Amino acid sequence: MENSPTLESLQAALDAQQAVFEMHQAMNVEVFYWWCTAIMLMIHAGFLAYEMGASRSKNALAAGIKNILAIALIIPAFYLFGWWIYNAFPNGFVPIEAAAALPWAASMGPDVQDMGTGIFWAAFALFGATTGSILSGAVIERIRVSAFLILTIFLGGVVWIMAGAWGWHPDGWLLTEFGYHDVGASGVVHAVAGFFTLGVLMNLGARKGKFIDGVPQIISPHSLPMTLIGLMMIIFGFFGFLGGCIIFNGGETGWTTIYGTPTNLSAFAFNTLMGFAGGIIGCYIATRDPFWTMSGGLVGIISVAAGLDIYSPSLAFIIAVTTGIVAVQFAKFLEKRGIDDAVGAVSVHGFTGVVAVVLVGVFAGGTPNAEGLPEISFVGQLIGAAVMGLMGFVPGYGLSFLLKKANSLRVPEACEDIGIDEVELLAKPYPEGGVPAMTDLTTSEVPNKLANSET
Amino acid sequence: MGSSITTWENVSAYFTFADNPFALVLFAIGTAAIIAGLIISIIRHENAAFEKIK
Repeated sequence: MENSPTLESLQAALDAQQAVFEMHQAMNVEVFYWWCTAIMLMIHAGFLAYEMGASRSKNALAAGIKNILAIALIIPAFYLFGWWIYNAFPNGFVPIEAAAALPWAASMGPDVQDMGTGIFWAAFALFGATTGSILSGAVIERIRVSAFLILTIFLGGVVWIMAGAWGWHPDGWLLTEFGYHDVGASGVVHAVAGFFTLGVLMNLGARKGKFIDGVPQIISPHSLPMTLIGLMMIIFGFFGFLGGCIIFNGGETGWTTIYGTPTNLSAFAFNTLMGFAGGIIGCYIATRDPFWTMSGGLVGIISVAAGLDIYSPSLAFIIAVTTGIVAVQFAKFLEKRGIDDAVGAVSVHGFTGVVAVVLVGVFAGGTPNAEGLPEISFVGQLIGAAVMGLMGFVPGYGLSFLLKKANSLRVPEACEDIGIDEVELLAKPYPEGGVPAMTDLTTSEVPNKLANSET
Repeated sequence: MGSSITTWENVSAYFTFADNPFALVLFAIGTAAIIAGLIISIIRHENAAFEKIK
């Protein structure tokens, strides 16, 4: 009987098994967010393709280079101060202690004991890069690359993450005071970025030739197919983005929303896909236009993202269809008021993001939050939506206004005529000719703009 | 020269200069300087390019 297990030896074996289980669970968390982050990079591949395609060929590379540099600059900026802002400002503008998130903290680097900080930082850095890139398409063909980079660092490294600290952090004041619910970042990313973009566009002005005697003209993309493929790549990337919005908990908790309420990937899957489909249909109904139809996929996902965990899928579909139709009208509204948003970013992201946040209050008011927090309410969502819109618009307008005053916002008119690629990049996208879709601006009948839509 | 550990026993943060906050601050400043320097260089490049087409 000498080899019979004792109570102590059984306990030791159980403890060893528990340690193995916990290590593998921590590794699974890392693996999940690692691949979410990798998939999110597809959003940037998509932005790259669709913004280059949306430009005229003389500006295609300039559109691309600012996109590439935006990612390269937002990532270190988010390391330097973005992560700290998220952890330091849940209460508003007065920081709390968050020294562990500063770039010189021991926790901000490889650590055997910490299998969370780096992978969460990476996901958030890519959220920031996505936010900064939303501005990118709207301002093509006339913004200075330097001005864009200053603006996008500010948006992707500071502005959105401040809003994230308020509306996404477990102690964020919008959550603790108003029960704010925005699981898929319709507000903290899309509304903020969209209205930041609106502020910039108001100072930047329209592309030369966009308005003649106040009447909007068609400026055709040089490669509409490239824009469509790019938009579909963004949709693919959104599965990484939205996966990164869910919390993979250790222990027996399982999946939760970023607010600590129970959910799972199945919930996200239902409504992401139904929103995607609905948005496409809504924008197609409203325009019959390929670019807007594909953009509708984004509108649809963003329109339901705030309530991705709680909507019934059919309701999500109806919300997405309706928002898709209305978002097109909002884009027309902006264009009639002299705003030249080359890719409809203000409407697709800003307007839809705000609507999405409000609709959670309309359809899901009364849903409980985690214990001790106010329930979801229409008023709370309305306040949250207003905060997100202002949080984007005010900094966007303010900083671009300063750049404009310094004569540093826009390329000179001669550069706009020749094309930024030739003047600034000394490169041509199609050096051997064969440029697709080089058309006269005023006679193009390519049906890709709002002016040609039926509704 | 920058290793912050001498053994893998009971290691936590183990990256280079993890035990030297002064160095980490310097690296952060260097990172910020590179970002700022790049933007300044782009502004200069743009100004020079725009000057040529005047």
